[in-house]
Amino acid sequence: MRRIDYYFRETFTGLRRNGLVAFAAIATAFITLLLFGGALLIYREYTLIREATTGNVQVAVYLTDSASGDAVRLLTETLQDLPIVESVDYESKQEAYARFQRLFANQPALVNNVTPDALPASLRVSLSEPEKFAQVAAALGCRLDDTGEYQCAKPGILALRDHRETLQRLFQVIKVLSLAVLAAAGLMLVSAIALIANTIRVGLFARRKEIAIMRLVGATNWRIRIPFLIEALVESLVGAATAVVLMFMGKVLFIDQLRNQVGFLPLIQNRDVLFVVPWLLAVAALVAIVASVFGMRRFLDV
Amino acid sequence: MITLRRITKVFKNSVVALEDVSLEIPKGEFVFVVGPSGSGKSTMIRLLLKEEEPTNGEIFVAGKSLGKLSHWKGVPTLRRNIGTVFQDFKLLQDKTIFENVAFALEVIGKPKGVIDQRVPEILELVGLGDKMNDFPDELSGGEQQRVSLARACVNRPLVLLADEPTGNLDPGTSVDIMRLLDKVNRIGTTVLMATHDQAIVDAMRRRVVELDNGKVVRDQSRGVYS
Repeated sequence: MRRIDYYFRETFTGLRRNGLVAFAAIATAFITLLLFGGALLIYREYTLIREATTGNVQVAVYLTDSASGDAVRLLTETLQDLPIVESVDYESKQEAYARFQRLFANQPALVNNVTPDALPASLRVSLSEPEKFAQVAAALGCRLDDTGEYQCAKPGILALRDHRETLQRLFQVIKVLSLAVLAAAGLMLVSAIALIANTIRVGLFARRKEIAIMRLVGATNWRIRIPFLIEALVESLVGAATAVVLMFMGKVLFIDQLRNQVGFLPLIQNRDVLFVVPWLLAVAALVAIVASVFGMRRFLDV
Repeated sequence: MITLRRITKVFKNSVVALEDVSLEIPKGEFVFVVGPSGSGKSTMIRLLLKEEEPTNGEIFVAGKSLGKLSHWKGVPTLRRNIGTVFQDFKLLQDKTIFENVAFALEVIGKPKGVIDQRVPEILELVGLGDKMNDFPDELSGGEQQRVSLARACVNRPLVLLADEPTGNLDPGTSVDIMRLLDKVNRIGTTVLMATHDQAIVDAMRRRVVELDNGKVVRDQSRGVYS
């Protein structure tokens, strides 16, 4: 008990002693983790949109309400015979509606206006080589007409959609954005490590006399190092906590406002932000540990 | 208690600090290590604390070979068994006398009960029982050295190493410190004191090991300075 008390007292003294340096370290850790969290959330949003629009498959064959069981079976077999087709799944009207409800749980107005009957059943096809979509179209006897819609010869087909094509540009944008933010986060990560390592060095220097005496009277390496490690952890975790608070604020103030305007898109929710929190804490702890190793290297061997 | 077996220490800049030094100090002995500045006295003390590694040879303290001690466990244990006193006292100015002595126990994880018992006890022994709450800069040089000695002894070490402990003190005060070192020695602590204070060595008539240019040139029981 007394030992823990000692460590925290030492840590607190350390933080107070070099307040400005500690503040810079905390601020950098905060920006790093905010960017990192942001990148994760952007990626999550990308996943949500992709799922909403495609249900994670590249091709959807929408079926007419009158399509018979035989017609559907025939279409399924035709598709499965193609070497580029990985899987074909039948999604009933009820299943389509359930997926719709799940995706737009945030927008009850939208859900209430749609009945299960309004959504068509479909065959959801994933391709091993999505760029060979043309083969699918050909096998189903579909041809692009002047309006850019596919007209299909086989019975039972309402429409054919190549999701990959329509969404590719959006995905590209989101992917680049999320990578750019992640890269910025990576750069800030290095600065955060350097700054926290620096606070440790400043602390070591300020307390060099105490440390010299500690070594002399036989204090262990851990006894000397742990206060500095805790100091680094406190700094990076305060940064992480601030980043988490700001992410929730941003979600409430920004994303939730947006929800009214773009109701057709699924947007990240509180639980998505919550999901990011442990990752941020893990990165914060990692930053502190790496910074401690660098900060104390070659300085503190008994 | 202390054995140096053919110790040579050459620094990186090829300065030879100690050359083929062998020394045997039994438990409870009081030894002066004398010699001019640069003769290797301080290096010997640093080697005994394992602050430096010898280039050649082997050192034993309390039966343990220092070369085999690990930095994470062995070296701290070694230093807990060795008290140290230096010319410049090495006291922390922002701590009281009590806190300075308590610090040595605190950082090796001694419980508060032990600290509260032993610190006043040892401060009483060095004659500073009434100054426990003063700060180092309120004390005279001699008093500060007594604090430093109290800190060195509070954990009841087997060995006391003193590097020019009277170097900054006037002759009268030095005599007080020597009385205390003698007292510490009488309760069984092995004392090794590096000095070039001739008057003290001559007055004490203890074993004298003289170093010159890193070599032992004299080892004499009940000796004098030169």
